[in-house]
Amino acid sequence: MNKLVEKRTVDMQIIGDWVEPGSRVLDLGCGRGVLLDYLQQTKQVRGVGVDLDFHKILGCVRRGVTAYQGDLEAFMRAFPDAFFDRVICSRTVQELAAPAAVILEALRVGRALTVGFVNHGYWKNRLDAFFLGRKPRNPVYTTDWFESRPANPVTVDDFEQFCAAKGIRIARRALLRGDWKTRCAFRPNLFAGYALYDLSR
Amino acid sequence: MNDAEEISSGPVAAGEVGLVEARDFVHAQPFTFESGQTLPGFTLRYETYGRLNAARDNTVLVCHALSGDHHCAGIHALTDPKLGWWNNFIGPGKAVDTTRFHVLGANVLGGCQGSTGPSSPNPATGRPFGLAFPFVTIRDMVRAQKLLCDHLGLTALHAVVGGSMGGMQVLQWGIEYPAFVRRLLPLATTAREGAQAIAFNEVGRQAIMQDPEWNHGDYPRGGGPRVGLAVARMMAHITYLSDASMEQKFGRRRAGTADNPAYTFDVQFEVESYLRHQGESFINRFDANSYLYITRALDHFDLPAAYGSLEQAFAPVQAETLCVAFTSDWLFPPEQNREYVLALLRAGKRASYAELAMTLGHDSFLLESGDLYALVRSFLGAPVPS
Repeated sequence: MNKLVEKRTVDMQIIGDWVEPGSRVLDLGCGRGVLLDYLQQTKQVRGVGVDLDFHKILGCVRRGVTAYQGDLEAFMRAFPDAFFDRVICSRTVQELAAPAAVILEALRVGRALTVGFVNHGYWKNRLDAFFLGRKPRNPVYTTDWFESRPANPVTVDDFEQFCAAKGIRIARRALLRGDWKTRCAFRPNLFAGYALYDLSR
Repeated sequence: MNDAEEISSGPVAAGEVGLVEARDFVHAQPFTFESGQTLPGFTLRYETYGRLNAARDNTVLVCHALSGDHHCAGIHALTDPKLGWWNNFIGPGKAVDTTRFHVLGANVLGGCQGSTGPSSPNPATGRPFGLAFPFVTIRDMVRAQKLLCDHLGLTALHAVVGGSMGGMQVLQWGIEYPAFVRRLLPLATTAREGAQAIAFNEVGRQAIMQDPEWNHGDYPRGGGPRVGLAVARMMAHITYLSDASMEQKFGRRRAGTADNPAYTFDVQFEVESYLRHQGESFINRFDANSYLYITRALDHFDLPAAYGSLEQAFAPVQAETLCVAFTSDWLFPPEQNREYVLALLRAGKRASYAELAMTLGHDSFLLESGDLYALVRSFLGAPVPS
């Protein structure tokens, strides 16, 4: 559990490093507003989150984070081009019904887009699948297949291929090893446990 | 003088505001309505609960809906058990916590529960104003409330809260007095009264105006178009509920005795007797002309038209907003609530939107709901980043 909390913090620090102070930030799948709260405190961002669940919105309101209950794509459609300085999609893409549509719409309403996801190509995930022959289950993916939301097991290579095909510019990437801390330079598709991308059109 | 302190020194049951007393604010200077018409002065009847703090900035203003009034919480006498309309929300330790906040509720200008309205005596004739009363708008109501706030010596409002027509006032408050309001909490409302809502209002008005007793608005106090007003209320009440909630509450259950003959037009179903009761009790507490004036105020509420666009309307807003809508509300459905929240966000304002899956329809904002209590409590207590 402590390890998981630590992993969350590392994630937030890198995301925070890529955010300009005082900028306008949209968090897609904001949960209870922990990340936006952190960004408000450390970067004085003007943030808004979107989530589907009432209790997540309640958590945001309790923290003093503004949040909108509803569909991500419908929300973004209500905003003009480049309205947000940065859109953040942290550990959300793998649960989307239409990830490409969300990513492209996020790149329209945002000048920059941060995408963070767990690399399903990570060697341990591969070994789990190979030896157990079961859906990956680990501290991040704790649920059984029958209680999971739609899961797109995306890998680093998958994602980079997608960006190339869609003409999305990768301005920065943070590929982290299994500890989600140390940078991973060698064969990240196999050795990176977590991947963060800073994207723009 | 702090009115609230006197009230809170009265007997207060644990968790309840207990006995409360209505007061009158008399504004003895001319007041010009948005229509250009004027009154030499007006009265607003109001109640307060909880203590005003030393900085005089902890007031939560509660704006009522069409048929509501200033009596938001507590009871007026031990012999009069009628609780204020938002008593489940307001009290010590409740969602609107009177140990932290000074709560203010006022009957709207044009109303009939003690504030100046069409049933008030016209100083020029000594008889009720009737149709000589100026046309009132949501903005007029808000401007009158601001004069009351000034009279009470308030330096700022911690929050303005209200559902339905009350929610319209909340939005107008944020636009009209941006520096005076810190939080806006509109529930189940709209920034623009739509055709369906205007249509329902018009049916209500026609029921009143086609009643011969209405007599072009000229009727003695306590008299008037009782049949028309009751029908207007019965019809409007349906729009506050939902198909599912009426099915659940009444279904096809029969009213009266089993030997009630089937082939008559007397009350046969529980839903009929419920609506008749709603109509009957309404005519004893509401004035028909007030109903006409206030529904017209609702019809005229159109922020995008009044300011060019919703974004322009919200440009001056400084407060933080939380809007709450209800999935089963078909009078001011979630879509209409989302629309103004998105406009607030586009205008660069801090705004949140939450939607509750409650089945009661438009009137859900009056219901007991742990989720809604938690949301209101959190919003009123949350820090507002500068």
